[in-house]
Amino acid sequence: MSTKAYDVVIIGAGITGTMTAFQLAKYSIKTAVVEAGIDVASGSTRANSAIVHAGYDAKEGTLKALLNVKGCEMMSQITTQLGVHYKKCGSLVIGFNNRDLEELERLKTRGETNGVKGLRIIKRAELAKMEPNVSKDAKFALYAPSAGIVCPYDLAYAVAENSASNGTDYYFEYKVDKIERDGEYYVVCSEDKAIKAKYVINAAGCYADEIAKLINDDLPFEIIPRRGEYMLLDKCEGKTAKHTIFVTPNEKGKGILVSPTVDGNTIVGPNANIVDSKADTGVTEEGLDEIANGARRIVPQINLKAVITTFAGVRPTPTSGDFYIQESEKCKGFIHAAGIESPGLASAPAVSEYVIDILKKAGAKLNKKRKYIATRTKDGNCKLFYDMTEAERRKAIKEDPRYAIMVCRCETVTEGDVVNAIHRPISAHTVDMVKRRTRAGMGRCQGSHCREKVAEIIARELNIDISEVLKFSSNSKLLMGKTK
Amino acid sequence: MKKKLVIIGSGPSGLVCGISAAKNGVEPKDILILEREKELGGTLNQCIHNGFMENLTGTELASNLIKAAKGMGIECMTNACVLSLSKDKVLTVISPESGYLKIQAEAVILATGCREQSRGVLSIGGARPAGVLSAGAAQRYINLKGYMPGRKTVVVGSTEIAFIIARRIKIEGGTVICVCEPKGAPLADKKYIKECLTPFNIPFRTMHNVTKIYGKERIEAVEICQLDKKGKPIKKTKEKIECDSLVYSCGYTPDVDIAIEAGMVIKRDTKGPRTKRNNETTISGVFASGNAHIIHKSIDKIIKESAGVGINVAKFLQRQANELKEKENEDSAHNDSEDKE
Ligand SMILES: Cc1cc2nc3c(=O)[nH]c(=O)nc-3n(C[C@H](O)[C@H](O)[C@H](O)COP(=O)(O)OP(=O)(O)OC[C@H]3O[C@@H](n4cnc5c(N)ncnc54)[C@H](O)[C@@H]3O)c2cc1C
Repeated sequence: MSTKAYDVVIIGAGITGTMTAFQLAKYSIKTAVVEAGIDVASGSTRANSAIVHAGYDAKEGTLKALLNVKGCEMMSQITTQLGVHYKKCGSLVIGFNNRDLEELERLKTRGETNGVKGLRIIKRAELAKMEPNVSKDAKFALYAPSAGIVCPYDLAYAVAENSASNGTDYYFEYKVDKIERDGEYYVVCSEDKAIKAKYVINAAGCYADEIAKLINDDLPFEIIPRRGEYMLLDKCEGKTAKHTIFVTPNEKGKGILVSPTVDGNTIVGPNANIVDSKADTGVTEEGLDEIANGARRIVPQINLKAVITTFAGVRPTPTSGDFYIQESEKCKGFIHAAGIESPGLASAPAVSEYVIDILKKAGAKLNKKRKYIATRTKDGNCKLFYDMTEAERRKAIKEDPRYAIMVCRCETVTEGDVVNAIHRPISAHTVDMVKRRTRAGMGRCQGSHCREKVAEIIARELNIDISEVLKFSSNSKLLMGKTK
Repeated sequence: MKKKLVIIGSGPSGLVCGISAAKNGVEPKDILILEREKELGGTLNQCIHNGFMENLTGTELASNLIKAAKGMGIECMTNACVLSLSKDKVLTVISPESGYLKIQAEAVILATGCREQSRGVLSIGGARPAGVLSAGAAQRYINLKGYMPGRKTVVVGSTEIAFIIARRIKIEGGTVICVCEPKGAPLADKKYIKECLTPFNIPFRTMHNVTKIYGKERIEAVEICQLDKKGKPIKKTKEKIECDSLVYSCGYTPDVDIAIEAGMVIKRDTKGPRTKRNNETTISGVFASGNAHIIHKSIDKIIKESAGVGINVAKFLQRQANELKEKENEDSAHNDSEDKE
């Protein structure tokens, strides 16, 4: 059997990998993305704070600083093009005392050096007007109007779907375990499967060091898994904060934040604890207590009874402290995009351009495609019923009556939305895949009323028995056979 | 479209409201019941156990009420989901058969029932594997679809449905390791323990909570822990129990999305709309009934309340009609006198 050949193989379908695929899809080269998980955004990209940081955190002169500011500037254009929810809500770093104020001044200067626009230190009166619920003890804040919020996995889906619509191949449940050389090609293998490419991009997040080892390369730093836990509050508490609110950072990092989400909830978290396993996305009682206390420092009256779910994500923290985006010295054409910890989401658009520059220097020939689909799919941006105007809703129902069948009442998701997600270029064939694409099951009742309806639709559309439907991975069947 | 009375929801409350309004003077043809699901009856349809009214099963009670409502000539529309309700009582409705509809009503009854509270309230540690589900969802899989969500189950929570689902799993050949409740006493009447747990040898453990979930893809075990008087876990009592499913039932809240969007005042304690003594909400002519109003302890109480709401709505509509007539009379009297001059 001959091995399928590509110009570029990207390892990892997180935001780094998919954004790179999206930028590459504008050129007439053949790209594949291989991903260990069953879906796009299976790693850090799935569970994070979802903040498009303005760029005052990263040390002056670092790659992080450069790419964060640029990525943040690019976010508006990309999200508009692909119909991704993004809101420039601005961020506030609050300070309680004069020591904090000094630190805020320092952050402001750093931000200005990094090229962040509009930074301003505000006093209590203005802060109280901007954030009526913020702690009375907060006396100052650093206001960054260019910071924003975005749905991280939706951004990853959008860029992945666009690249797939433009001819990029995606391979899921493809955990790269061996990389060999075959002339000018790298053969990228997973169990008994193999594909090959002239250029490989290592965008494996927490596992980027392990991928480097497969080609006997060593990254000049270690990747430490640091878990961050979160609580998500019901939409009825969605007005708790209007901006992303941080406290003045300390040596442990940016700390716990309270922020609105693009979907109208309030998010609280994260802490930062080193964990043994890079796959440990479980939450702990102690951790939830820690973030609850952190959140109360910012908004003392926060209603934590309205928590609708808790979750955690793992950061790929490099001991070097900076992003590492370079062609391997040992292996030409093998490009690492490693150590992409926070603000890796905000930086992703700029990271991907940076990767492509390296690709060009490494000799890849990139000519613009003549036929390019600019939207998510060839049928447009797949707007959800929830986001449609009344006229659009009428039209959608007329064309497909399934848009009039309610599946998830908490989030106003219709059968039309679910069917669309199942049949898009990267098919949502599990309950969680449908959930992240449509929001079915993300509301107040967390799927207790719609999960089985989604499962039934998946079974029907894919012609399988409902007992074969998965929650997310191959060992996560929803049901355990028939009743007596 | 115009309708005198629109009832949102066809559970026992919505049906009884309709029947009672019709008995008390509202023309049945002026009443429209809207139901989002394919079938009328609401939650009753998944209750195949008995104990409803004069010891009927839920499904039997539903079919009796549906027959009565339809027999009177009340119009019922299924697959019709209300998206929103405006202050002047215009409903936006979607339905695959009728498309996108606007209905102007003179009076509206919110009988949308309740929702199960999510697991988040419990903040259990661990990952989010398959096999963790609410009691209502478990009931629908088993009773409506004939599938088992698990074969070795731990139940947390002690509402009626927690006990009923424990018994059902056992009857269908599964094992229920235990039912645990973080508080000192069951939320439901103690008779449920006698009826659902004791005969099936299912242990009930108060002051116990699930504190951790094991398993990444499918649940493999849970950690159960005894709680002290303050509700804090007593660490040395931690116990790992193997299971393939965790069913939770941590109570209900009224389904009030439509009410919130319409701008009704929601009460902090009941989490339902604030109402006057006649069940009228803070929007004139919009009434709340059944679990959408307040979580009721039993079906009998829902039916009693709903019958009352039907009477109150009939009175409201009568009053409206009278006022309109008076106004017309006044106007015409006025016009008459003008004519004379
Ligand atoms: C708690 C937390 C909070 C954060 N908050 C923010 C924030 O507010 N703003 C922000 O900008 N950034 C934030 N970040 C950082 C951001 O989430 C990451 O920088 C970004 O998601 C990294 O994307 P990635 O594509 O590089 O990695 P990932 O998303 O981890 O993607 C890597 C992918 O590679 C796959 N993979 C791994 N090994 C293999 C293999 N052998 N074969 C095939 N595939 C493989 C993985 O399954 C995974 O899908 C946060 C991160 C965390 C964890």
